[in-house]
Amino acid sequence: MLNRSWAPRFGILPIVEAVTLAGILLAPFALWSRPELITLATNVLILALLGISFDLCWGYSGIMSFGQALFFGVAGYVVALVGRDLDFSPISGALPLAALSGLLLALAFAGFLLLGRKKPTNIFIALGTLTGSYAAERLVSGWQYVGAGNGLSAVKLLQIGPIQMVEGVPFYFLALVTLLVCYCGSRLLVRSQFGLVLAGIRQNEERLTFLGYRVQIYKTIIFSLAGMIAGIAGMLFTYHQGYIGPGNMGPGLSTTAVLYCLFGGAGTLIGPVLGTATIEVVSYILADIDRIKQIWPIILGIVLLAVVVFKPTGILGFFVSDRERIGSYGIRAGKQRRTKP
Amino acid sequence: MSQEYATQRQSGGVTRRRFLTGASALASAGWVAGSAGGWLLRPERASAATPIKVGIATDITGALAPFGNANWQVAQFVVTEINQQGGILGQPIELRLEDTASDPKVAIGNVRKLIQEYRADVVLGGITSAMRQAIKDPIVNRGRTLYIYPQLYEGQECTKHLYCTGPTPAQQCDELIPYLIKKQGRKRFAMPSANYVWPQLLNKYARKVIEAHGGEVVFEEYYPLDQPEYSATIAKIRDGKVDCVFNTIIPPGLQPFVKQLYESGFQRDGGMISCLYYDENLLNYHPAQEMDGLFSCLDYFQSIKDPFSEGLQERYNKMFPGTKYLFTAGVASTGMYRGIKFYEAAVKATNGDLSREAVSAAIDKATLASGPGGGAQMVPGKMHCKMNMYVARCKAEGNKTHYDIIGKYDMVDPKEC
Amino acid sequence: MLENVVTFAFDILSFTSVMVLIVLGLGVIASMMGIFNFAHGEFVLLGGYTAFLTQDAGLNPWWGIVLAPLIVGLIGLLLERSVIQKFYATPIIAMLGTYAIGLVIREIIRSLLGGHYKSVSEPWPGFFTVGRLDFSIWRTLIIAITVSVIIVSWLLLTKTAIGLRIRGSLENPMLARACGISTGQLYTLTFAYGSALAGLAGALIVPLYQLSADMGLRFLVQGFLSVMLGGVGTFEGPVVGAAAVGALAASLPWLVLPVLADPLVFLIALAFVKVRPQGFVGKGRT
Repeated sequence: MLNRSWAPRFGILPIVEAVTLAGILLAPFALWSRPELITLATNVLILALLGISFDLCWGYSGIMSFGQALFFGVAGYVVALVGRDLDFSPISGALPLAALSGLLLALAFAGFLLLGRKKPTNIFIALGTLTGSYAAERLVSGWQYVGAGNGLSAVKLLQIGPIQMVEGVPFYFLALVTLLVCYCGSRLLVRSQFGLVLAGIRQNEERLTFLGYRVQIYKTIIFSLAGMIAGIAGMLFTYHQGYIGPGNMGPGLSTTAVLYCLFGGAGTLIGPVLGTATIEVVSYILADIDRIKQIWPIILGIVLLAVVVFKPTGILGFFVSDRERIGSYGIRAGKQRRTKP
Repeated sequence: MSQEYATQRQSGGVTRRRFLTGASALASAGWVAGSAGGWLLRPERASAATPIKVGIATDITGALAPFGNANWQVAQFVVTEINQQGGILGQPIELRLEDTASDPKVAIGNVRKLIQEYRADVVLGGITSAMRQAIKDPIVNRGRTLYIYPQLYEGQECTKHLYCTGPTPAQQCDELIPYLIKKQGRKRFAMPSANYVWPQLLNKYARKVIEAHGGEVVFEEYYPLDQPEYSATIAKIRDGKVDCVFNTIIPPGLQPFVKQLYESGFQRDGGMISCLYYDENLLNYHPAQEMDGLFSCLDYFQSIKDPFSEGLQERYNKMFPGTKYLFTAGVASTGMYRGIKFYEAAVKATNGDLSREAVSAAIDKATLASGPGGGAQMVPGKMHCKMNMYVARCKAEGNKTHYDIIGKYDMVDPKEC
Repeated sequence: MLENVVTFAFDILSFTSVMVLIVLGLGVIASMMGIFNFAHGEFVLLGGYTAFLTQDAGLNPWWGIVLAPLIVGLIGLLLERSVIQKFYATPIIAMLGTYAIGLVIREIIRSLLGGHYKSVSEPWPGFFTVGRLDFSIWRTLIIAITVSVIIVSWLLLTKTAIGLRIRGSLENPMLARACGISTGQLYTLTFAYGSALAGLAGALIVPLYQLSADMGLRFLVQGFLSVMLGGVGTFEGPVVGAAAVGALAASLPWLVLPVLADPLVFLIALAFVKVRPQGFVGKGRT
């Protein structure tokens, strides 16, 4: 897996990250006259958060979570309900609320799935997350209080100070800042000692357990953090769209998150961002071409299959060597080789 | 405009036109590609007038596809006729369709395109109340655009600049239910319902009417939209000795329910079923014998014999020969007709001013002298309109259905807002 | 009162039989190859779609019931030979890969259906009366067919030579290979058989439930829960699990609000699997 023959003297990943950042910062100015494209770009940023959330689980810790959308949706429902019933939508309250919902629910879920006397099998985790997401979708589909199958619409607008946020450039920058903060936070985490343990878990769980690490605890922590990020994404999505429904919570959106991440490149954090951008932009362009629009979901499925079978490292795998993906924790490859644990 | 069209044609391949059901009908009627993906009928006297942009947001795919496709075809039909007569004050109408896919989640994104990209002057559409609630915010609030909702529903929609041209509970229940109780001797009602806002509010209203006339509601239950198993419900119907099922289940749960009810022998043993959105189009969902004997109350049935309605049907069938999406009332086609005609009348009254405030004020007072089943009158300030209502009973003939009109009620008040 | 009990039992039985058909294939694949086929729900969907196509083509609907297992079995065989074989080494990738395959199948069918829901009529509609109760003919037939399939499968497994080899591979694939049994061929056969069963289940169930592109997902989740509930590694395990999930799914709507019953089935089953990971009848491999 390690590609010793091709290790560049400088890291490619930081370059990719820098370019992406520049692109994201300049986009609203380039798209100033096209409000629908600003809306698209905002959606991309928000969904990229969901992709990152999955990447933290799978790309960094080997947790196959087929249900990330669960936390996305629950946080969305929470802020929509709070806006409807308590007439409350300032960001100072909504953001912590969403983050907390995601975090606590993910914690509870992780506790149920991961902790316990017996080590859970991978299939159990995958099935458990899938079931959780599916059951939640069915639950809200039937629960009238949360709008049943039709979800909650006309969500009270997000308020930052005196401003009410609708789609547009201000919301874009809000999403951008959120993405930046979450991204930097995650990046710091995975390049820390904690991240090193995660890398070990990903490589060989048993080995880490024998070394004395409580692997399941680490997994629980990362899963909860990923849930928190997904929750924040859900909150932004709900305020932006003005709608949240069972479809935003179920296996459908969860699978899309998987696709974003794997397509872009799992285990890199910037991969999901690029994957989300590519897929969403192409979807948008093709949406008006009816002949392709009908088979687009099929194409996406085939893309996912192709990625899984042929190129599990995704698009970024073409540019980024494995050594960079696994991590040179703070030390640049080429300057001082760190031997793998 | 024609220059743009010529270039588009030359480039062949991929264009931003939308090929949709009935597109061939549009093409044969002379429609060409308009700007930003809409359809435009080049008027006979080729004026350089900017077209009036009408956005249609309806369910072309998904569980309610038969409803949405009927809507879309009727919209094309009405607008073609208007354009053939020169448009509204010389301005042609351009149509653009966005598929709401029977899924509010998808609908919001697509409807937003109508507002932001296409900049429609008015949007007509939405079938289920859930869809209406999901898309009204992007249209009316965020989009500041006029919205006309064409389908029968549960009432209580009093949002400014949102006009409803379909029947309300008062118009549907006030005659049908007393008829069932008094003339058909029904006493024990069951209310199996889909779990969303239309059945909930409608049932509240219907229950009042039922109990006011001496009937009894044995049970009222709500199921997920796609529930496939109804054996518990059928058992309750049997045990409660229900003689009339007041159904508000909608597709996709509808088909299994009606099938299971029919197979349990309910109708064979004398039970009656009534459903407020049942019309001739429901053949897309059931074999005819499962609908035999069903009662409905709508603003139009194809068996109504009045020259204007018959003329409409004839012209519609000529434009869409052999289509399975019929011009009927339960699927919002009549509401769509009324909506577009009201808009036409309003723009004529404002003398071409398309701003929302002006048109809205004009629609508020609009009347239609004729339409399918009769004319209609907007009740000023009430966002709803009066229309003729008909109580009818379904009769299966082979594998077709025919609705026998039992009663006609003129210009029934919607009693809303 | 007795009527209610009988109707109740009949409901459970008919729902469970469908689950059993679906789960048999899933369970054997999971036990033998150690991979969990996330596309199994879509095989059910394919079976339903085949039944719809035969109806659309104007043929006698019974052809749909016959063709569905054959066609879906064939598709399963082709898939196994081409793609799924690559997954045996890494079960995790198998999950993702089969999930992707399922996604492709689901979206293909969604586009073929045009996003509509379709009705398929039963080959044998109507009901028959026993005493004061009416029983749907078709549901009775489903129960009959399932029982026959179980019996045939069991006979195949226990009384034939190939059944012996399959059971050997099920219990200990390494040893089986060491004894010269061609496990590769057996895997292909088993996968095809499992898919055929799923296809049959789809064709049987689609007259009751409306054909739509998403029906596979529900059966997938329920199927998996059944397999894990019953225990991987045996023949009876998944059957018992399916019976349990079927009973749960059919009985809960009588006890709680229907809107709650749906998610509760999954959560209860999941909780049970957590508590007893090897399942009711499990032995060895989880």
